[in-house]
Amino acid sequence: MLNILVCVKQIPDIDLVRMDPETGNLVREGVPTLTNPLDLNALEAAVRVKERYGGHITLITMGPPMAESTLRECLAVGGDEAVLISGRPFGGADTLSTSYSIVKAAEMLGNFDLIFCGKESMDGATGQMASQLAERFNASQISCCSKIEEISGGKIRALRTLEKGTELVEADLPCLLTVEKDNFFGRLPNLEAYLASKKAEIRVLTENTIDGLEMEKIGVPGSGTIVPEIYAPKLPEPGQIIKTGSVKTDVGRLMSLLVEKGSV
Amino acid sequence: MKKTDYKDMWVYIEHDGQTAADVGLELLCEVRKLCDTTGDRLFAVILGNLPETETGKIINCGADGIIRVKGTGYGYFNTDAWSNAFTVLCRKYNPSAVFVGGTINGRDFAPRFAVQLNTGCTSDAMELGYDPETGDIRFIEPAVGGKIMAVITVPELRPQIATIRPGTFKYAPCGARGEISVIEEEISFDPGAVRCRRLDYFPDESDPELDIANADCIVCVGNGLKDQEHLERYRTLAKLLGGKIGCTRPLYERGILPYKLQIGQSGVMVKTKLYISFGVSGAVNHTAGVDADVFVAVDKNPDAQIFNFCDYGIVGDMDEICDEMIAQLRARKGQ
Repeated sequence: MLNILVCVKQIPDIDLVRMDPETGNLVREGVPTLTNPLDLNALEAAVRVKERYGGHITLITMGPPMAESTLRECLAVGGDEAVLISGRPFGGADTLSTSYSIVKAAEMLGNFDLIFCGKESMDGATGQMASQLAERFNASQISCCSKIEEISGGKIRALRTLEKGTELVEADLPCLLTVEKDNFFGRLPNLEAYLASKKAEIRVLTENTIDGLEMEKIGVPGSGTIVPEIYAPKLPEPGQIIKTGSVKTDVGRLMSLLVEKGSV
Repeated sequence: MKKTDYKDMWVYIEHDGQTAADVGLELLCEVRKLCDTTGDRLFAVILGNLPETETGKIINCGADGIIRVKGTGYGYFNTDAWSNAFTVLCRKYNPSAVFVGGTINGRDFAPRFAVQLNTGCTSDAMELGYDPETGDIRFIEPAVGGKIMAVITVPELRPQIATIRPGTFKYAPCGARGEISVIEEEISFDPGAVRCRRLDYFPDESDPELDIANADCIVCVGNGLKDQEHLERYRTLAKLLGGKIGCTRPLYERGILPYKLQIGQSGVMVKTKLYISFGVSGAVNHTAGVDADVFVAVDKNPDAQIFNFCDYGIVGDMDEICDEMIAQLRARKGQ
């Protein structure tokens, strides 16, 4: 039976996040949260593996207490247990320290054969977590997986999508995978699992309950990068808006301009 | 070691055994300018065999030196040998910064060796700055869907590692420097220890409709598109203009057009003569991917940010305006 870990993240709806023009801070209050969409594709891949080979799926996330709702959402789709890493000292972490915290917590949960991650999060969008987790798990890595062909004898054979082609690879377990969204379209939860997820127990691990956690490696102190400054993008001056009174004459004017420029 | 003891900036040269990928050369050109400010030397790092003719191109981008790594384990890309090589090299030479092209494989191994070296890694910077007081590079990138620009620094650790997307910076070689130091390193990685092995590779069949990077004209459709049924007219317009159709991220997310047509920082960077956007809001992540001689924007929202990036704009219903363009182009061609 395969022991599978799926890493997920709760993110703010970035369409609704705005910058306070006075303070220059991001305003997140009242902004709804969602499960990072690409993480649902990773979960789908894990559920398919479990259906084919049998297995146990553990979901893990790090975040404030409200991130529990993301774990429940994922449990409803397919997960056997869920763990939330939460505590103030974890806040403000970059990928270097987040990957450390997740791996330290996961070490308490057993040895995983397969780890699935989304390719990137919609909010931070560094796309670095998967590689950094793989390194810390001392696992092989198949990024951008489009198909899992076979898992047997401690190995996984899969296809990877590259810029100009597809690569067939074989990797040793444990292996961490990120998946292509087009090939692992997420399923909807079934009603029974949905109801069960509402009552499921979520295990919470804190800075005090994770074994051997070195405090200087988590949160801000453990981060390699900082964000000393944010600002609104500097926009160029608007172009020439064509406004002649009707669509026909607007387009006519545009065409003349494009002909002048030699564009058409 | 103090951070000021770390010297020189490195650019990884990704290659296929024959030619150096553009992104490495683009980064050399940009990091050259940064090195001129900081006083660091610029080195190109090559793993495995690359023909001498390509070395000429690298030198012409202003590199002060080349580090060539030979040995076993570099027959095909694998994250184990690649991250090991960079960890070994960085521990030996202590560079101040390492730049890696943000290709699929670059984004795969760079964050890994950042963990091995326990240092900070940034991704997708669009602009590089320098703070002489702290000696830190300022990696400037769009964040939160392009609503803000964030300055990222690596304030204590070294090297400062960055992956940067292909096409972000221009390939504008400044010419060769006087003296070039060439360092040969042997770092062998046991091929038997590679944990993810390439068994086969299948190149994509080339589909000219999906190759839009250098199309003469691009008609880009954004989230303003109502649904799939409304798409056809934009294909017709693109065809009449001798161009190709492209899209923004939401249209790919909605499953309307394939990923290879997604224009912007996380998709294709395009260079074109004429670019016409319909229903595109103008997030900087998208506009950063457009290099057009003439930029036309059509959107129903007069305050849309896209109008800040265009040469000519029309405010109105995108479908109606597209249809009128088709009609007038047909009339012009006498069809």
